Amino acid sequence: MKIPLTITVNGERYDLEIKPNRTLLDLLREDLGLTGTKKGCGLGECGSCTVLLDGEPVKSCLILALQANGKEVLTIEGLGKGKPDPLQIAFVEKGAVQCGFCTPGMIMTAKALLNKNPQPNDLEIKEAIAGNLCRCTGYNKIVEAIKSCAASTKR
Amino acid sequence: MRIRPFEYHTAETIKEALTILEKYGTEIKVIAGGTDLLLAMKQKKILPHHLLNLLEINDLDYINDEPSEIRIGALAKHSYIASHPIIRNEATVLAEATGMIGSWQIRNVATIGGNLCNASPAADSAPPLLALNAKIVIADSKNEKNLPISSFFTGPGTTLLEPDQLLKEIIIPKTKSRRKANAYLKLTRRRGVDLALVGVAFHGELDESGEKLKNVAIAMGGVAPTPIRALEAEAELTDLSYEKAIKKIPIAAKAAVAATQPITDIRATAEYRKDIVDVYVRRTATKVLNILFNKDG
Ligand SMILES: Cc1cc2nc3c(=O)[nH]c(=O)nc-3n(C[C@H](O)[C@H](O)[C@H](O)COP(=O)(O)OP(=O)(O)OC[C@H]3O[C@@H](n4cnc5c(N)ncnc54)[C@H](O)[C@@H]3O)c2cc1C
Ligand code: FES
Ligand code: FES
Repeated sequence: MKIPLTITVNGERYDLEIKPNRTLLDLLREDLGLTGTKKGCGLGECGSCTVLLDGEPVKSCLILALQANGKEVLTIEGLGKGKPDPLQIAFVEKGAVQCGFCTPGMIMTAKALLNKNPQPNDLEIKEAIAGNLCRCTGYNKIVEAIKSCAASTKR
Repeated sequence: MRIRPFEYHTAETIKEALTILEKYGTEIKVIAGGTDLLLAMKQKKILPHHLLNLLEINDLDYINDEPSEIRIGALAKHSYIASHPIIRNEATVLAEATGMIGSWQIRNVATIGGNLCNASPAADSAPPLLALNAKIVIADSKNEKNLPISSFFTGPGTTLLEPDQLLKEIIIPKTKSRRKANAYLKLTRRRGVDLALVGVAFHGELDESGEKLKNVAIAMGGVAPTPIRALEAEAELTDLSYEKAIKKIPIAAKAAVAATQPITDIRATAEYRKDIVDVYVRRTATKVLNILFNKDG
């Protein structure tokens, strides 16, 4: 049986009917066609499915879509609406993207970090992205890219 | 990995939730943050026909500071607990432990109630709550009862809870001692995001004179079928001065090891787990003693 779900994704409100066994990630990728959010492990380990739920980073593969009822979701598509976010530019410029699979999740976690703490140090950055695995870059360039955005938001 | 279909229920009050639970009995599972349950459902280890979402219950994610106790609602999330000033001051060991659970994304959804009810022998919130002599409040549609957390766990993955009951809140008594200190250490396979192989919580207080240790509590996770206290180890250190207690730490650590019955599994051998208990009891004890007696550690 389908259940009604009201959810705001990237600023747009959706009134949907959905099967209860669908995760937030299924909803985003399959029902709304927002494939920027990646599905890696599906087990809460890799972080490639990270989106912001009411501003907090969460793993969308381990949340039922219905548990996000009434909430606001921000995905990588919403972050880069119109023009790329400074984080997206920094990731490209600093070489923090190789295969790119981890990138959307990594950037969403980084965004939440910078929203909370605009001037994070290396340790704070590493702690924040501990749940986002990258098989390619070795993390240094990712930390650098995030740090460069911290500096560039300084007034 | 797909989740098998199920019927979905949601409740806005505890009362409503308990009525639904009573109706469906063993057919229904409750879901809070879902970080344990959805994983088990994806892996087909648990296949409930009905699921009751607790997250829409109003006001069950509180942390209330009362004169003689702190009350934590079962739906409080680890990220909230770990950063809450009352918990950081009054129950540091719990702030430390919940701050080490999973990753930031997991702590933003996973609840303390889920951590306890899932009853992993290595659940990180359990040793701190055991060491702080916490109580839990269990509710069913007829009444509520208050139990020491030490009686809650009955084995790996099992608790006292009946299918029609909910864990409602956790109560941490405040001690009257002028000085107290506590600490948590956990060993994982990888740095960062991982379940604990072993977790050790150490709590101590100063007596009236300010010269002797009292109310020592040592609790351990991942080394027995349930999280446990190390009562003999605690007794070794009780009523001792700083100098005597520091000398006695290795003996207490051995007593703590003796209280464990770890298993060998894919993640670590029993011998390794015991060695780690020995090291972590010594480290947490030293840290806590140094804080209590104002020594540079
Ligand atoms: C990637 C990853 C890393 C993790 N790392 C750690 C870690 O480092 N340390 C650690 O301890 N755990 C860890 N966990 C396990 C898990 O995140 C925690 O146990 C978490 O606190 C569970 O809470 P939840 O709200 O998600 O529970 P849920 O999955 O919603 O529920 C867990 C169980 O408890 C029952 N339940 C939940 N709430 C109640 C209630 N109020 N009354 C009665 N029954 C209830 C449910 O029916 C279910 O059986 C990790 C999990 C993942 C996926
Ligand atoms: S796909 Fe969600 S954490 Fe890996
Ligand atoms: S760039 Fe390939 S996984 Fe991170």
